[in-house]
Amino acid sequence: MLETLVFTAPWALAGLAVLPVLWWLLRVTPPAPRTERFPAIRLLAGLVAQHETPARTPPWLLALRILAAGLVILALSGPVLDAGGSLPGQGPVLLVIDDGWAAAPDWPRRMQAAGSVLDRAQRTGRPAALLGTAPAPSGTPPTATPPMPAQELRARLAALAPRSWPSDRAAAAAALAAWKQPSAAIVYIADGLTDGSDFLTFAAALSEAGTVTELCCDRPPAKLLLPPRAEADQLVARLVQAPQSTAGEAAVLAQSGDGRTLARALIPLPAGAVSGEAAIALPPELRNQLTRMVLENAPSAGSVALLDERWRRRPVGLLAGDQAALRQGGGETPLTGPLFFLRRALAPYTELREGSLDQLLARNLSVLILADRPLTSGPERTALTRWVEQGGLLIRFAGPHSSGAGLTEIGPSDARASADPLLPEKLLDGERQLGGALSWSQPAGLAPFPATSPFAGLAVPEEVKINRQVLSEPSPGLAAHSWATLADGTPLVTEAARGAGRVVLFHVTANADWSNLPLSGLFVDMLRRLVQLSVGVADTADDMLLSPVQTLDGYGQLGPPPPAAAGLTGRELAKAIASPRHPPGLYGPENGRRALNLGAILPAPELAPAISGARVETIATAVPERPIGPWLLSVALLLLIADLIIGLLLRGVLTPGARGKIAASVLLLALATWPAHAQPIASDHPALATRLAAIVTGNDAADRLAQSGLTGLTAYVNRRTAASLAPPDAVTPGQDDLSFYPLLYWPITPDTQALDSAAVAALNDYMARGGIIVIDTNGGPDGSAGSGGGFAPGVEAALRRIGTGLSIPPLTALASDHVLARSFYLLSEFPGRFVGDTVWVQRDQDRANDSVSPVIIGANGWAAAWALDGTGRNPYATLPNGGPANGRQRLLAYRFGVNLVMYALTGNYKGDQVHVPQILQRLGQ
Amino acid sequence: MAESSTTLNARRAEALGARLPPLLVAAERVAATVAQGVHGRRRTGQGESFWQFRPFTAGDPVNRIDWRQSAKSDRAFVRETEWEAAQTVVLWRDGSASMRWRSRLAATEKQERAGLLLLALAALLLRGGERVALLGERTVSGRTGLDSLADKLARMPDDESGNPPAAFVPRHSRVVLISDFLAPLEQIQASVAHFAGTPTSLHLLQVLDPAEATLPYQGRVRFQGLEREADTIIPRVEAVRSAYVQALAAHQDGLAAIAAGAGCRFTVHHTDHPAEAALLGLYTSLANR
Repeated sequence: MLETLVFTAPWALAGLAVLPVLWWLLRVTPPAPRTERFPAIRLLAGLVAQHETPARTPPWLLALRILAAGLVILALSGPVLDAGGSLPGQGPVLLVIDDGWAAAPDWPRRMQAAGSVLDRAQRTGRPAALLGTAPAPSGTPPTATPPMPAQELRARLAALAPRSWPSDRAAAAAALAAWKQPSAAIVYIADGLTDGSDFLTFAAALSEAGTVTELCCDRPPAKLLLPPRAEADQLVARLVQAPQSTAGEAAVLAQSGDGRTLARALIPLPAGAVSGEAAIALPPELRNQLTRMVLENAPSAGSVALLDERWRRRPVGLLAGDQAALRQGGGETPLTGPLFFLRRALAPYTELREGSLDQLLARNLSVLILADRPLTSGPERTALTRWVEQGGLLIRFAGPHSSGAGLTEIGPSDARASADPLLPEKLLDGERQLGGALSWSQPAGLAPFPATSPFAGLAVPEEVKINRQVLSEPSPGLAAHSWATLADGTPLVTEAARGAGRVVLFHVTANADWSNLPLSGLFVDMLRRLVQLSVGVADTADDMLLSPVQTLDGYGQLGPPPPAAAGLTGRELAKAIASPRHPPGLYGPENGRRALNLGAILPAPELAPAISGARVETIATAVPERPIGPWLLSVALLLLIADLIIGLLLRGVLTPGARGKIAASVLLLALATWPAHAQPIASDHPALATRLAAIVTGNDAADRLAQSGLTGLTAYVNRRTAASLAPPDAVTPGQDDLSFYPLLYWPITPDTQALDSAAVAALNDYMARGGIIVIDTNGGPDGSAGSGGGFAPGVEAALRRIGTGLSIPPLTALASDHVLARSFYLLSEFPGRFVGDTVWVQRDQDRANDSVSPVIIGANGWAAAWALDGTGRNPYATLPNGGPANGRQRLLAYRFGVNLVMYALTGNYKGDQVHVPQILQRLGQ
Repeated sequence: MAESSTTLNARRAEALGARLPPLLVAAERVAATVAQGVHGRRRTGQGESFWQFRPFTAGDPVNRIDWRQSAKSDRAFVRETEWEAAQTVVLWRDGSASMRWRSRLAATEKQERAGLLLLALAALLLRGGERVALLGERTVSGRTGLDSLADKLARMPDDESGNPPAAFVPRHSRVVLISDFLAPLEQIQASVAHFAGTPTSLHLLQVLDPAEATLPYQGRVRFQGLEREADTIIPRVEAVRSAYVQALAAHQDGLAAIAAGAGCRFTVHHTDHPAEAALLGLYTSLANR
């Protein structure tokens, strides 16, 4: 460590020479005395101390001061720990950094190394420039910055991040050629991969640009995870890498959309291997949740394989046999129909589609199952053949309609099989009957599945017996194409590849006519294995333009696409090279996401050859320099502070009280730097507390009145009952979420206008779900009943206006036997500011909402009676019993308010009160 | 301002003196300087209060016969009154610079405390009917005398010598000197000798700051005098503390010796102690003679 200690200002060390002088000066100079005025000085004049007092500085204090001075000098000389060697050349320093996907796994180390290079350049005062070899997210090809002071380059360096696409060696070489500086030093922080075929050009450009130092290669270069291969019951994770001399392994995590790791597999990588595989077996339910596979502990875009719909959705088409026969014979017949057991076996875990062949093939299908359906030549068979050859999995079941001759076209037997390409093997005419009244043979069981079969490993139940089957023509390859055989070796399930797809034939029917296989659990398992064998589909057309939705950043995290990302068609997607225009990620609409994976399109990574003439250092040695001057200065400062305190103590300035004060100040200082605890954030979100609300009418006076009325009622309720209400809100239906409020108070004024449709819908929804709206006209028109008559002329028109859209149920007058009159106080009248007008509630009891009336309409001006002004007084006199002496009406108004709140909060809980007389009567009997 | 502060001082001193019974100064001898006072001398003489009847003897003035008493019998009686006399007390306090100082340990300066004690004593004496004078000033008497005394005290010029002036002192008077008596013993000896030359009774009260009594400083200290003495640097004050206390004790012993030689009393008062204690000491001292 010490050999890497350098001094940036070594001449300052000459200051150490003055330390002995300082020693002598400090030694001969006693501390300055404190001055005190003292009358009895004559008595002091001739005194001789009992103990010899040290007029000189104590040696340990002297040492402390010398140490502090020495530290200051050392700090001024600019010591730097871990300083790297000097860079060759005298000209500017060009940092060439591979920032393609392969640099991401140890990006912090690379940044550290780059920082240390800048440290070196800064120390020697050389300008520096930066060149990232991957295209920028904006799509611009790599360009070197002009030489600038190293300090200014640090911001640019900090802004550099690994990309999710590979380096562009050719463009970087061009940038190097364009950046020509005399006597330059090139520092190349390499990712160790060629990243394409242009590496040699790039290396040559590097060598030409200046003296190259390569920081590289103390760790294996990044591995590239390929999209997994789907097999019958498992996904096979695959990766490719540049060959390594030592064996290793890589862990692959299969993760779901919410980031949970559902499986972990280890890929063994023997020495020299360029690829590795590991199978991940998951139940289909879990497998369908997978959204990505990642290499553990290697965050890069190349370590992530996104799984799109192709790995999950496997729509299965079901096509019955003779449609006409089905119609007559009952295609939907339970237990006997050809599709019944298929449907039952597949429906729980696949997407089933039925319809005519045209309809089925019009959309993407993974599997098509033909149950006892002969295929005649014609457009149907042509379409099917094309579909299979494009990758479809066709599963056919034999049957009476299609057995032997029926499965194939009627005609000369030698031409038949060749004419139907959608049978795995040629079939013999007729079918084989096993067992039966006229046969000596017994129904045959199944042989264990061969290891090459996708059914391998499934247990064969003994009770599965085959009674009839169709037979293939014996041929040499028949056994290899048989996935299941009977105990006597007769093929039961045969398969054949057709183009990219596959044809599978069950030699029995899909119902229980020929065998009891469809009745067994084995049938379900076999079908599941077959469906998993198929290729998933992405439900998008190939020429549809897919826009980027989420793209991977350099560390393999999904995020919003960069600005330069552009859409591309599905066909282009399959062949696209990852670039700023098409970064890896998810493309396309919600129901048809397509994944663009780095591994699917990149060539296998190759080790980059060494650059000729380059000095190679490992990244690990390039640790950042650590200037320790500031630390030394701090220590010196602390020592000087200690010296000050000690000096004060020696001079007796510091009394014990002052010492306590100093200790307290130090403690306070320490406490002040202690992080403050976060205060809980108060929120007034309506969901967090129960509160009343008034509907905003737009009439300021009415809104203010409603607010102050509800405030007064809230205070009263909180004081009188166990209910605890928060301060009321003002809400606008259609904009605010009304579902948090048990009760809405709606003041209606003569100028209230009709609501818009959104507000009407919101209020209807609110009422339908148990909300209560209290509509108050605050007085009635001239001549109406009660003391409020004449206070609100024209309000009936307003009521009619607002009521047009609202689903207000049939109303009845509120009587004292209503729950509303019993829910807290027993009330017989319901006054507000006014008294006497009828209050209207729902007539019919609606059990759905606890028999709570969704609307309460009155003209008594309750809010005015409840209202409180700022000083806690009631600003509105009650009529007709106004005045302070007649508080009864206001008291009743408040009580009605409490009943309202209780009614809104508890529903018909207090409805029993109404029935108490009857209950008591019954108890009496 | 100055007027009100002197009045205030007088009131404070009076309040201090009010806590003690009126000071009765026992007169020991008849002197020409004795004037009419309220103190009965336990003998016949000029006065207001009745002392005794005695039979008329030849030579008594006829107008001194108490006819009411004489009418009760055949003999003539002369009414005699008790001889009442007042005494002069001369007060002085040091006004030098060393008195105008206090340390952190005390709340008041020595001079302030000395002035307070002086006025309190004067208040007591005036209430007792005595005559009080500042050294070198005219005597005052009666309750109103206190104010003029306080006024004079406030106007008294500071003298830097620290020694009482060699002023005229009435014979057979009491002299109370209040100072820190930190001057060299020879000067004090000379002053005391001046007063001892006249038939007076002398009382020395040394007022000291607690810091002067204990030297509570620490570390390396440069001490500056208040009366143009040379500075003294003490490297470690705590080391010389005991020596200082001894030196102070020796100085006080010397003062006591001077006092004893002059037949006067010497007491010490510290400014962090209550003023009443010192006043009580003075009271007892004056009353007991």
